[in-house]
Amino acid sequence: MTELSDRVVETRRTDPASRECVTAPQRAIPPRGKVAAGESVAIAMTVNGTDVTVSVPARMHLADVLREHLGLTGTHLGCEHGVCGMCTVLVDGDAARACLLFAVQCEGAEIVTVEGLGAPDDQHPLQQAFSAHHGLQCGFCTPGMLMSSYDLLANGPKGTEVEPEDLPEEMSGVICRCTGYRGILAAVADVAAEHPEGLPGPKNCASRTLVGRGGGHSTATPGEEAADGAVPGAALPAEVRMPGGAPSATVEVRSTLSAPVEKVWAVLDDFDRLARCLPGAELVEVLDGDRYRGRAKVALGPVKLSFEGLAQVIEREPAEHRLRVLAQGADTGGSATQADIRLAAEAGPDGGTVLRADAALFLSGRIAQFGRALAGDVSRRLFEQFAEAVDETARTGAAPDVSSGPSPVRIAVGAAVDAVKRAAARGRQRVQAAIARRRAR
Amino acid sequence: MKAASFAYVRPATLDDVLAELAGGDGKVLAGGQSLVPVLAMRLGRPATLVDINSVEGLDGLARDGDVVRVGATVRQRTLERSPLAAAVPLLPLALPFVGHRELRSRGTVCGSLAHADPAAELPAVACCLGATLEVAGPDGRRRVPAEEFFVGAMSTGAGPEDVLIGAEFPIAGAGEGHGFAEIARRHGDFALAGVATRVRVDGDGAVQQARLTGFGISDRPVTRDVTELLRSAGPRRAEPDLRAATAELAAEIVDTGGDAHGSTGYRRRLFAVLAARELQKAHRRALPTATEDPS
Repeated sequence: MTELSDRVVETRRTDPASRECVTAPQRAIPPRGKVAAGESVAIAMTVNGTDVTVSVPARMHLADVLREHLGLTGTHLGCEHGVCGMCTVLVDGDAARACLLFAVQCEGAEIVTVEGLGAPDDQHPLQQAFSAHHGLQCGFCTPGMLMSSYDLLANGPKGTEVEPEDLPEEMSGVICRCTGYRGILAAVADVAAEHPEGLPGPKNCASRTLVGRGGGHSTATPGEEAADGAVPGAALPAEVRMPGGAPSATVEVRSTLSAPVEKVWAVLDDFDRLARCLPGAELVEVLDGDRYRGRAKVALGPVKLSFEGLAQVIEREPAEHRLRVLAQGADTGGSATQADIRLAAEAGPDGGTVLRADAALFLSGRIAQFGRALAGDVSRRLFEQFAEAVDETARTGAAPDVSSGPSPVRIAVGAAVDAVKRAAARGRQRVQAAIARRRAR
Repeated sequence: MKAASFAYVRPATLDDVLAELAGGDGKVLAGGQSLVPVLAMRLGRPATLVDINSVEGLDGLARDGDVVRVGATVRQRTLERSPLAAAVPLLPLALPFVGHRELRSRGTVCGSLAHADPAAELPAVACCLGATLEVAGPDGRRRVPAEEFFVGAMSTGAGPEDVLIGAEFPIAGAGEGHGFAEIARRHGDFALAGVATRVRVDGDGAVQQARLTGFGISDRPVTRDVTELLRSAGPRRAEPDLRAATAELAAEIVDTGGDAHGSTGYRRRLFAVLAARELQKAHRRALPTATEDPS
């Protein structure tokens, strides 16, 4: 089986009547008192390496919890009665139908979804092979196919030594209705052949923050649970956690400011003034432990996101004028963001300051569908505006008004210019390659 | 499709399970792989689901004398992986046909028995081997032979206030061979017709006893002693020589009505072919110099 944490308990019972007592290596689950129909119950489990707690009625199945409460929409739902296999996930290491498991049965379970299998820039070998063999077209069955084939090669009776001719039967638990099975089976056979020593484990299960859809959107049949009021959703995070896994985007901005370094540091060192310089940010509450509750707005054309979140200064080095802030936020539309930001001010030329901002950004939910280049571009503009605002605050003592959020016009223009530059660079490379080919002839 | 609302409880003891089931409007939840689709389609709306997965002692999987005992919450896949399954050769033959891997991860052996779908594999295995099922109810525990347990389509000797707590499968002795096959439109679907066979031979290779259970062909698994049938098929017990006799048997016991997937006549034909094939295989495997055939 897939490597599991020590929570999978093996309890060896001693029954004198048995000659040979083998205990099923099944996870023990603690008892649970009666939950009335429609009543919500708090369920703690581990999803893709992260501990989560959701509060849902007993009738809600695991797939709905993953999709509606944790924003993990990679797990698809087809038939919802166990036939099609779209919702296949790993439960305690083995593949199972997420529509045939009530979440309340999963207390303490370890769940791995397709999001945990690999990251866009660090794909699992199965994901790479599906791509290489055209093992997907519309993509609807792909998460189920990936999780089922993972289970087959990791936990199947023959592991990666499964014979290619057995694959049609072994992969029959998930239905594809568009591209056909050939590419899928070729991809699985390829991965099996490439890994005689065993299949690599899931690649994206480092601990991170999963922020649910605000408002606790419930999939209850209208009227059925509505009488009991809204199901409480994921609350605002109480602590900022270090992100894990590869960031969605990294940003490095180096700005030359005219204000002297001590004055720049004075702005950075005062979180209230620092927050005023962040476009769209608003400091709501100062908490203990150098933590701050706030809001941030991002508006880009039709995209309007409003994040509520928490920031925490985890390193503050006045002598070196360095600051490190972790921030995380979620918006009601199911987008979540997390950032690890390092700010450093150094004396620059002509009595000015060089301000460095390095940030690792983690995006999930709808915002992640932005495409990373755009997310990175927008963040870069944001830090450039931030640096200008810090400079102005340091020089004049008053912050400019950036509370309305990143200027759509300036960001859109800046991002567009960047996009044009990239396209031009690609064009130049294509022309140069074509010239090289012609010369070679 | 979502299940209707239900109350849920996961008791720590068997007594508490039985207390929750008292009244008859509760339903036992073990793996849920047969029950949850029923709830999702709202074909069933039990008031309470009584999850038995926290009851200590129900997850035992052990060799106990001349039987392998499988507790109520042992998953099909757990048994499939266990070295104990080899002691009951029909189990490793039949388990890969039970649903799909993804369903066997959660589905339990006893749950499949208690659900008693007429086309299910494990009830047929239990009947063919003469397994014993242990039922706990308001009046205490009782042991029921598998052949008496299955009384109709999804109907068993366990009532709404009872819970099946274990199944005992006899361990195969020397000179015993088995066969198992089914035909379904797609692997993992319910069988159009299927058979489980067990043949015992003596030291000289003479047939001592032959048993056959058909499934997917009636409202419950149907078991017959086919010793004479096998003996009458000539010394080679070759499949074609058995075919006339199994066709006769098919006419007698295949009584399921036709449906979109196959007529009664088609199922009879499937059954006759599978029965001849798997009887021959079981016989060959039972012989002292048994060598596994490649088919």
